[in-house]
Amino acid sequence: MATALGPAPGTGADALRRGTTARLRWRTGFDRWVGYLLPLLFLVALVPIAYLVYFVSAKALPGLSWAVLTSSADYQIHDALGVPIVTTFLFMLLATAIAVAIGVLGGVAAAEFLPERSAGWMRMSANMLVGMPSVIIGYFGYFAFVLYFHWGLSFLAGVVTLAFFMSPYVFRTVDLAFSSIPRPIREAAFGSGARPVQYLLRVGTPIAFPQILTGVFLAMAIGVGETAPIVLTVEPGLLVPTGAFQPAVFTTYLIWTGFNQPPGDVAYTLAFQAAFLVIVVVLALNVVVRVVAARYRQRLEGLYQ
Amino acid sequence: MSAALDGGPVLQVRGLTVRAERRTLLDRIDLDFPARSLTAVIGASGCGKTTFVRTLNRMVELTPGLTVSGSIRYHGQDIYDRGVDPVLVRRRIGMVFQRPTVFPMSVFENAAFGLRVAHEPEAEIDRSVTDALARAGLWDEVKDELDRPALALSGGQQQRLCIARALAVHPSVLLLDEPTSALDPIATQRVETTMRHLKEELVLILVTHNVGQAARVSDRVAFLSAGRLIEQGPTAEMLERPRDPLTQQFVSGRFA
Ligand SMILES: Nc1ncnc2c1ncn2[C@@H]1O[C@H](COP(=O)(O)OP(=O)(O)OP(=O)(O)O)[C@@H](O)[C@H]1O
Ligand SMILES: [Mg+2]
Repeated sequence: MATALGPAPGTGADALRRGTTARLRWRTGFDRWVGYLLPLLFLVALVPIAYLVYFVSAKALPGLSWAVLTSSADYQIHDALGVPIVTTFLFMLLATAIAVAIGVLGGVAAAEFLPERSAGWMRMSANMLVGMPSVIIGYFGYFAFVLYFHWGLSFLAGVVTLAFFMSPYVFRTVDLAFSSIPRPIREAAFGSGARPVQYLLRVGTPIAFPQILTGVFLAMAIGVGETAPIVLTVEPGLLVPTGAFQPAVFTTYLIWTGFNQPPGDVAYTLAFQAAFLVIVVVLALNVVVRVVAARYRQRLEGLYQ
Repeated sequence: MSAALDGGPVLQVRGLTVRAERRTLLDRIDLDFPARSLTAVIGASGCGKTTFVRTLNRMVELTPGLTVSGSIRYHGQDIYDRGVDPVLVRRRIGMVFQRPTVFPMSVFENAAFGLRVAHEPEAEIDRSVTDALARAGLWDEVKDELDRPALALSGGQQQRLCIARALAVHPSVLLLDEPTSALDPIATQRVETTMRHLKEELVLILVTHNVGQAARVSDRVAFLSAGRLIEQGPTAEMLERPRDPLTQQFVSGRFA
């Protein structure tokens, strides 16, 4: 045994000491340097984000008050974010609902019901959509919903385009979440006489749920920061929409139109305040994702042993 | 039903062949499983033991790309007939896997799973779960923590919970695919005791790579090699006086 593997490793006290050959020295040195480097890389990633948050907050926070957040006054004249906030909330609520419906149905179909070949096509399309610049999705929405369906530049066209933009993210996590359930667990459910839907609802969903929720929140975080799918399909409105074909304003529209206005202009202030809100929401969604994922991972501990 | 009452086999396997794209995984297997018996299926790794038991309750259909031919009769009814619902087959012919496969729910709900998906009434569920946990030899250990998550149980307890889950639906046949290979000796002993009790009431088919285990619990032994049934018979005969040189070699190697 020892001969085949070369000399037996030392068993005395010196077996625990650092190696002294050149090669070992180099390796320990390298390990140490990587140890120094990693925090540095972390800083490289962190600094731009920290600076961005500081830069935006510095311009947004001084004027940002409860009154600004809740005022439903005309945002073209006043520092008033009430209408964009409520409208964005509506946009996200409806678009998320549609995206979740499409993504969950598609993901479950791909993971559980469709033959491998069709599932493969669905996965490829979803990957392509995820890699697609959002402006192309925006144009698609414009041609399909605004023009072809005659919905005009409307709230509905924006909601559906945004949902279309978000759904592949949901699809991918749902598909992955159900596909990665350990095979024996799935087979045990079927072996106990479960029908596919019973397996999905009673066993699959509790296991896949945290991952699905993560995907939905990430899709929301991506959607809430999008601009192109909305500006190309919705006419900016001054009021919260009360019907499908009305104009409506998405928060990022304020950023898109305001940031290059002269400082001191209401539009300029609004742009930074809107950006600040979007950043806060995106960060909050990411925190929620982490908390949820950690909580459930604990609960499912041992399932993948 | 009538076949079993007549004393015929509960399960009758004839000319069972399973093919993958390029290979034959099981080759024309004929085997009977009489009522109230424990048959051990032994053989080298990769000889087709798992594939074999998975054909017995149509679990094999969950693996795409395999084709099954021949017949498997359960009380005279071919389970692969068109018009036979594989879900109902699996409720009569239950299965326990190599590793514990508890679901992320309470101990009680795990044991009740098969009854819930079969829409049994609540009173029946309570009764059957208690009974199944007792028969699986787990009741005394878990009776005070039925609401705890099953994932908190030890591996041996989880495996017996899986046996209880399979028993709760009152199957007539239980397939066990190396149920103790992930367990320590004491947990293994408990599961073996459970199996010895269970064979008084149902048909057990136990895949094991452990000839000692086959000797301890089984009435009959079937030896597979490279997808063929080489030899089968009463346990004592098979392990002490095997006729086929392949069986001799395997058995003596494993006992040593
Ligand atoms: N879906 C499949 N496609 C092709 N070959 C397969 C498939 N499933 C199993 N096999 C092959 O069939 C043979 C038998 O596999 P099986 O799992 O039944 O063996 P086993 O006797 O249970 O082995 P072990 O003791 O290691 O569990 C193996 O050679 C395996 O590689
Ligand atoms: Mg096996």
